[in-house]
This record gives sequence, structure tokens and C-alpha cells, in this order.
Amino acid sequence: MNKETARLLFMDYLYDELEQDQRKELEAYLSHNPGLKKELDELGDVRSMLQHLPVQNPAEQLVMVEPERSGFQDWWNEMIESWLPASGFVRAGVAVASIFILFVVMGAFTNMNISINDNGFELAFGEQQEIVQQGFTAEQVEYLLQQMREENALMVSEAVQAVQQTQDEKLEQTLINFANYVEEQRRSDLRVISSGLTSMEETYYDRFRQTDQVLGELIQTVSTRN
Amino acid sequence: MEDAQLVQDFRGGNHRAFNKLVARWQDRIHHFAYRFFASSDDAAEITQKTFIKAYQKLDTLEDVNKFGSWIYTIANNLCLDELKRAGRRRATSYEALKVAPQTENATPADGTVLRNEGLVLLHKALLQLPVDQRVVVIMKEYEGLTFREIAEILDEPENTVKSRLYYGLNALKKTFDSWNINKEVFDYE
Repeated sequence: MNKETARLLFMDYLYDELEQDQRKELEAYLSHNPGLKKELDELGDVRSMLQHLPVQNPAEQLVMVEPERSGFQDWWNEMIESWLPASGFVRAGVAVASIFILFVVMGAFTNMNISINDNGFELAFGEQQEIVQQGFTAEQVEYLLQQMREENALMVSEAVQAVQQTQDEKLEQTLINFANYVEEQRRSDLRVISSGLTSMEETYYDRFRQTDQVLGELIQTVSTRN
Repeated sequence: MEDAQLVQDFRGGNHRAFNKLVARWQDRIHHFAYRFFASSDDAAEITQKTFIKAYQKLDTLEDVNKFGSWIYTIANNLCLDELKRAGRRRATSYEALKVAPQTENATPADGTVLRNEGLVLLHKALLQLPVDQRVVVIMKEYEGLTFREIAEILDEPENTVKSRLYYGLNALKKTFDSWNINKEVFDYE
């Protein structure tokens, strides 16, 4: 044992939590180390002084008041607690069973009917009505189909004719419009040509007149000189 | 009846069992908080909060045989919370420090005065310790808990607890020496 290990045991020694053999070993070591013994004694003095510290008792006794019961809610909780088992798993099982029983009872009262057929899942309440088959015979169906085919053929024929007529009318109108356009164009060209000839004629006339005038003046000038 | 049995009774729906636990532990928790703060008002408040929290959380106690350690843990945590919350205010509001220390001017004939002042200084010295050392000193010196129990409450290794106690007692010794207080002061009755 050395001083450090001895100090490590001080607290156990002071508070009497040291094993008997360790206690004797420490005391034997301290008997040869008066400085360390003094240190331990001083800590013991501090302990004895601390024991004089006064303390105050609480002024009043605390009482935790039990929450007031709220009538039906408490009665219901108590009933649930008393009837249901403590295990959560068993409680879940009881809950599922209760729901199933409730489902069956309600189904019985409401004449619930559950079925799965070609149309899917069906859930129905009340008396189930019998479905009465009221249809046509095969011959009637064949006759109806034949009639429908004839009507359809007639409708298609009329529609084709109407379309053909519409197209003819549109084509005729297009040709008329084209002929009108060509006629109009021809008249316009003739007007342009006529206008050009008139303009050319006026130009030649002016030039003739100017030439005559110049010739007249020339003749007059020559006559005057002679 | 043991604490563990009372805890189980409470869990079984017997709320009166908790009042028995309160009656059994109120003084100890109050003393712990009083020594921690040196204020009876704060001690009462901490005690009340401790039992309210215990009432709310008792279902979470894993080992019913460790109710004592568990409730000390609650009280200690509340003390630490309170210290953080109002640390500055507490620096000047200790009841135990209402009388100013006058030991240097007193004569041996004033033994009773010295003793009273010595008691005041005892608490003052305790309050001057770092919180982690103060808690260990209180739990060990006054509550009589074993090192193992304290280690469990504080969630620290036992050697850490012993080390804090060692340094705490040494710090107290130095404080007493600086204030000229020795154990003879308390011999006057």
C-alpha cells in the first residue's frame, strides 16, 4: 500500500464501508504514516462538524388527493377493467371477437346479404328481390337484327347520296366561279388594250399636229425670206 | 409494509398507498432539499414537485425495490433544475445566512454566540461547495446512502462519487480553517 491507495480508501474508511481486512491493512499503514493519519483525522473532524448542521422539518404533511370520480366515465372504466383481462394480446382478441359478434347480430337484424358473383362483391340489406328474366327469343332477336341491318343500310345509302349531291353542287359552283373569273379577266384585258390603243392614237395625233405646225412655220419663214 | 409493496398497490389502483409513500419519504426529501438550498420555502416546493412527479411517473419505475434511489433521483434533478433556473437569485436569499459571521471578534465567553454563528457558517460552507460535491456530501453525510446507492442516483461510477466526497470534505476543511471554525465551537450547549 502507498499513500495514494491509502487515500483512495479514506472515504470507505470514514463511512465504515471498508472490508475488515482492508480496514486493518489501512490502519496498519497509517500507524507508520502519521501525516496521512492526521489528514484522515482532519476529515473525520469535518464530518463531526457537519453533523451539527441543523435541519427543518416540513411545515405540513403532504397529501396527494385522489382525483374526483366523474360518474359514468369511472363506472365504465371500472367495468372495463374488471371484465377485460390484463394482457394486451388477450384484450385485442376480445375486441376482435366482440366486433365480429356485433357484425353478425347487426347482419341478422338488417337481413344483410353478402355475395360474390361475376359482377364482383355485393353487400345488400333487406329482403332480396328475385330477378325475373323478361327478354326476347332468338328468332325475335334475329328479326330485330335484320331490321336494324336494313335500316342501317338505308341510312348509309341516303347519307352517301347526300354527300355525293353536296359534292356535285360544290363542284358546279366551283366551275361557275372559275368561268366568271376567266370572263372577268378577259374583259379586264380588253379594257387595258382599248385604253392603250386610245392613248397611242392620241399620241400620234398630237405628233401630226406638231409636225404640221412646224412645217407651216417653216414654209412661212421661207416665203418671208424670198 | 415495504416501499415496493406500496408501489405495487398504487399501480394496482390503490391511490392511498401513495399517501403512505409520501408520509414515509416526505421528511427525507424535505431535509435533502433544505440542505441543498438552505431555504424551507424552496425545500417545500422541491418536495411537493418531487411527489407530484413521482405520482405521475410511478408507472415507469422499472424495479419497485429501488423506489428510494428513484425518488432521490427525481429530487436531485429538480434541485439542479431550480438551481439553473434561479441561480443568481439564490446567491443572496439563503435563510441560513441571515446572520453575518463574526467569529473573528468574538471572545471565548461568547460560546453560545459562536456556536450559533458556527451553525450558520456550516451551511454557508456547504453551499459554497461545487454542486456535484455538495450533492454527494449531503447524500452521504445526512441521508446515509451507500456509495453504490449514490452512484446509482447520480448515474456515475462509485469511484467518482468517492472522489467528489473526498474533495468536498477537503474543501470544507479549508473553508472552516479560513473562518477559524473548529469542532470545539460546537461543544457549547
